[in-house]
Amino acid sequence: MATAHERTIERFKKRTVWFHWINTVAFVTLLVTGMFLFLPGLGIVAQDSITRVIHRVAAVIFVLGPIVYFFTNPKMSLHFIKETLTWGKDDFQWMKAAPDYHFSGDENKMPPQGHVNTGQKMWQGVVIGTFILFVATGTVMWFFKGEVSSGVFQWCLVIHDLAFIAGFAMLLVHIYLGAIHPRMERIFSFHAGWEDIRTLCQGPLRQMVR
Amino acid sequence: MAKAILFDATKCTACRGCQVACKQWNELKAEETTNRGTCENPPDLSPDTWLKIKFAEVSKNGNGAIDWLFTRRSCMHCTEAACVTVCPSGALSHHKLGYVDYNKDKCTGCGYCVEACPFKVPKTDGGNLTGIRKASKCLFCRDRVTNGLQPACVTTCPTAALQFDERNKLVTLGRDRVEKIRSTYPKANLYGEKELDGLHVMYVLPYSPEVHGLPVDPKVQTATEARDLLKWVGVGAVAAVVAVAGLNFLVARARMIQASKERGES
Amino acid sequence: MTNHWIDLRNADVIMIIGSNAAENHPISFKWITKAMERGAKLISVDPRFTRTSAKAHLYAPLRSGTDIAFVGGMINYVLNDMEANPGNYNMEYVLQYTNASLIVNSSFKFTDGLFGDLKSGKYTADAKKTWKYADAKTPATDMTLKDPNSVFQLLKKHYARYDADTVCNITGTPKGAYLEVCRTYAQTGARGQAGTICYAMGATQHTYGVQNIRTYAILQLLLGNMGIAGGGINALRGTSNVQGSTDQGLLANLLPGYLNVPVEADTDLNAYLTRTGKSPDAAITPQNLAGDKSVNWWGNARKYMVSMLKAWYGDAAIKANDFCFSYLPKTDPAVNYTHIGMIEAIGAGKIKGLWVWGQNPAAGGSNSNGARDALGKLEWMMCADIWENETAAFWKRPGVNPAQIGTEVFLLPMAGSFEKEGSVSNSGRWVQWRYKAVEPPGEARPDLEVLNEMMLKLKELYAGDTSPKAKTINDLVWNYGEISSEKVAMEMNGCNLATGKLMDAFGNLKDDGTTSCGNWLHCNQFSYDANGTMINNAKNRINVDDHPKQIGQYGGWAWCWPMNRRIIYNRAAVDLDGNPWDAERPVVWWDSTDPKAKSGWVGDIIDGGGDAINVAKAGDKRLPFIMNKEGVGRLWGDALAEGPLPEVYEAWESPLEKNLMSGQKSNPCAFIGTYMNPQGTPDKFPYVCTTYRCTEHWQTGIMTRNLPWLAELQPEMYVEMGEDLAGAKGIRSGDKVVVSSARGEVNAVAIVTKRFQALKVDGQTIHHVGVPWHWGYAGMSKGDSGNILTPHVGDANTSIPEFKTFLCNVVRRA
Repeated sequence: MATAHERTIERFKKRTVWFHWINTVAFVTLLVTGMFLFLPGLGIVAQDSITRVIHRVAAVIFVLGPIVYFFTNPKMSLHFIKETLTWGKDDFQWMKAAPDYHFSGDENKMPPQGHVNTGQKMWQGVVIGTFILFVATGTVMWFFKGEVSSGVFQWCLVIHDLAFIAGFAMLLVHIYLGAIHPRMERIFSFHAGWEDIRTLCQGPLRQMVR
Repeated sequence: MAKAILFDATKCTACRGCQVACKQWNELKAEETTNRGTCENPPDLSPDTWLKIKFAEVSKNGNGAIDWLFTRRSCMHCTEAACVTVCPSGALSHHKLGYVDYNKDKCTGCGYCVEACPFKVPKTDGGNLTGIRKASKCLFCRDRVTNGLQPACVTTCPTAALQFDERNKLVTLGRDRVEKIRSTYPKANLYGEKELDGLHVMYVLPYSPEVHGLPVDPKVQTATEARDLLKWVGVGAVAAVVAVAGLNFLVARARMIQASKERGES
Repeated sequence: MTNHWIDLRNADVIMIIGSNAAENHPISFKWITKAMERGAKLISVDPRFTRTSAKAHLYAPLRSGTDIAFVGGMINYVLNDMEANPGNYNMEYVLQYTNASLIVNSSFKFTDGLFGDLKSGKYTADAKKTWKYADAKTPATDMTLKDPNSVFQLLKKHYARYDADTVCNITGTPKGAYLEVCRTYAQTGARGQAGTICYAMGATQHTYGVQNIRTYAILQLLLGNMGIAGGGINALRGTSNVQGSTDQGLLANLLPGYLNVPVEADTDLNAYLTRTGKSPDAAITPQNLAGDKSVNWWGNARKYMVSMLKAWYGDAAIKANDFCFSYLPKTDPAVNYTHIGMIEAIGAGKIKGLWVWGQNPAAGGSNSNGARDALGKLEWMMCADIWENETAAFWKRPGVNPAQIGTEVFLLPMAGSFEKEGSVSNSGRWVQWRYKAVEPPGEARPDLEVLNEMMLKLKELYAGDTSPKAKTINDLVWNYGEISSEKVAMEMNGCNLATGKLMDAFGNLKDDGTTSCGNWLHCNQFSYDANGTMINNAKNRINVDDHPKQIGQYGGWAWCWPMNRRIIYNRAAVDLDGNPWDAERPVVWWDSTDPKAKSGWVGDIIDGGGDAINVAKAGDKRLPFIMNKEGVGRLWGDALAEGPLPEVYEAWESPLEKNLMSGQKSNPCAFIGTYMNPQGTPDKFPYVCTTYRCTEHWQTGIMTRNLPWLAELQPEMYVEMGEDLAGAKGIRSGDKVVVSSARGEVNAVAIVTKRFQALKVDGQTIHHVGVPWHWGYAGMSKGDSGNILTPHVGDANTSIPEFKTFLCNVVRRA
């Protein structure tokens, strides 16, 4: 809630927020349902193919989301991609300064950052990269199983798995840095209440500016 | 004591009693087939066909004479079973009698076993669109063998081309038979003795395996082994992230509290 | 079979000719495989490389229909080798147990393929006289086998023309393979070596089929292979319980127990027995053999006939009326009552009604189009079957208008073999009792019950009718009450009419009307245990080899005829002292001191009783081949239609212009049908076609084509042809083709295979084509019937159709 000495700026448009959360739900669904086929022992949850059907439904949303967003927001999408792929001196400086900053709060070495900081850019890169890998290998495994050789299929699985590992690991970092790290002006305190979650959904990415 | 089946191709007359006995015992339905210009049918294994005999006309020792080979095709019940390795739900597992067991209820329909098997044995019964399907394969007649009976195929074979016994006894029997037929078939071999750490369905073959349509020195694919490894990579990566994040949280918070104390904030 | 299935494992060489045992008698390969594990060699002789050939050590192709040349050449090989190396053969067997030494009529003449004068397709009575021994009652013998009129020398002279080059020129067999077969099989002539010949329809289904089998008899007798373990001539019967059916006389020329059907000229029982040569005075006693008594077992036929007539007509059959012999239907020797003859008669409108029991003439007999057309001439037909087969559905078959067919067809649903109790007799003569496993579905009923009701109805219809013909029904004993197979079996076994006790041996049957016996062969099937309880021995299942030398006898498993004797002619398995030729696998041996001995013999039940020849009293030194009048095996035989020795003829439809062996192209005595039976010629039908079966289907497929698991294995009618022929006709495996003969055409899927190789015959290339005969328009898996192609011609003696060799053409369907 804004206090007297604070003001809020709109950092992300409403449709972007919507898209973010739809994508997140799809991604997490994919992640969880995919995990059942990845970790030994968990697979029993996937018996009778139920979770695999959910995976497919979520996959469609996961693929359609960005496509729809891209065609309805071409400039923002292209900007997003360009932003992700633009790296400069400041980014490498950020990486050097990051450990001190995140552990000790030392901002001194931090270079200026743009719309998103380097860490967020890295995450965006992972998102785009894994998206491409997931969709490419996923398409092969879903629609071309039985037509490609078993070697091709299984290597697609391997790549899909690697993308999953990278994506999940980075997702944890993203959640941690976005919502858990003590230094971040968090949207909610460590002990989140429902009020905070509503706020989260409505417009969480309105960065508080001190 | 590990059990196995020994198939002696030199004794098989392709009567296909085994094919039908398997269907009868496992209550599998007949497929609709056509004559594709051969006695061999159905064309391949399927959810309803767990065992078939392959026919191949070959030249006998290259001197104008011909031979007609009859080769069993069914689950090989490998010791180093790729399907067991890839199965996410444990539907495929090793039984203490040595065969590869399969619990259809647990099957997720992922079809990884179909891709991983070096012999292309497991078959699924659903399409790719919904992905809803179950795999099928020979069950080694587990309800029979765990009750003192022999598998249906072995029981019905009139020429004892199929035998069922303790694996090491069949290895000896197979080796002896290979020696006995070597004068007629110089390339005779006991297939499955060592392949994939030992198959629980072994073959006395008069010709080298590829002539019978069997892969020479089959191996679990690298991709399969890679996936097996990735589980640990994944767990490790996530654990590392959680550990670092956890550490970071504790350290960062401690320092924040320290800093605010220093600033006089309570 | 003279031997039995398990005995196959005792052989040293197994020759499978005219048979594809691995596919059509798959269980036989249990024993053949065991023989091979012991080191036995398997020879497969077949126009096509089959699943049997795939297991064989030696495969020799031959042109379909040239078996007499092939085996005749083997006879020639053995005769020459015998003279050069008599030590390699059992000359004592040949001399003492065969008619090799007997002197034949000096007026015998063989000229250019013929054995005398013919008249209307039959040899004249004068011609047949020349086939007899010089002395018809007590033939002279030449123990040196040198007399030019001795059987041995006549045999040698006859087969001298069958040298390997001539033979291979006729059969198309590569000479190397052929000689290898001769060499390998001839080795079984040595003492202690056993060779067995397994044959089936490939041997019998020719216009000279019986002569094919005769060549085996000659070969096996020369090699001393009859009566021994692992030897014999073994017919692999073509149907489950066809052995039972021929045993019960279900052929047009037989009564139960292989007695002959009487003819019009048989004015009484004794005249009938004399005519058929089954009388006590028919015995022929060869001179100078160590054995001086020809047992002439058929001389007991009067006892069997009388006992059978007593079983049928009971108290009405008395000595005064010749035991109702006159009631038996008599046949006309000029008429052919066999399957082909019957179809011809139906086609000619001579037969009004037909009962068809578990039979399928519309697809199973030759010339299906002719048969189907003929059925339309019947006024009525009853079909009793477990399925509606092609015969029952002939009136609505594709291409006909049911409104134009006047035949009234009754279809009675019958119980299958697992839905009723009774016995099945296998090829080895073993009678095995079977039990009912499930109830028949719907209205289906066991044949026995239906037949019983029909007979009772018939009796009802004729009751009160006093005409002579009615007596044959009214005097018939038919008092089973609630009928059962066991009651009928007991009647077949026979009993002492005075005491009511079941007969224990046909040797105890009488011709005075005091015994009854439905089928003398089955006498001894029943016995009594120590408590006097009746035992049906066909039910025995003692899984123990009870032979002292473990030759696979299993006398306690089921019961076989005759008298549970497992290997017949076993008297020939021992030398004159009664010692077995083969100490490792003896069948019987003479040892009157052995407590296990029965009548002085240990092992199997001795054939013909009596002591060993050198031990027996003069006048009772029994010769081993007790069913022959002369007591010895017939290398030379005077009883068949086309001559005393098998001779090469071409099939009715042959790719050759002439017979390469003589001027007589085809069998002069073959039965040639005329009903819708045009003959094909090589110009229009250039390829040799043969028909056969596959493992997955059975007969006309009426059971198997309705079983999804089997239809899955073999789903469609197919034709097999070689790669050369297919290439020339632009046919690839899987293509749809049309196979045609002069009598019709069939659609089939082509299987192009290496297993039919082109053969070189007299400079000509001969291509074979093969079709199964399992399909028809009835049932689940439908297809064209192979028998549409086959000719309506039959063997000179049995009229079995020539299914195995005829001409055809093949073209790819557009």
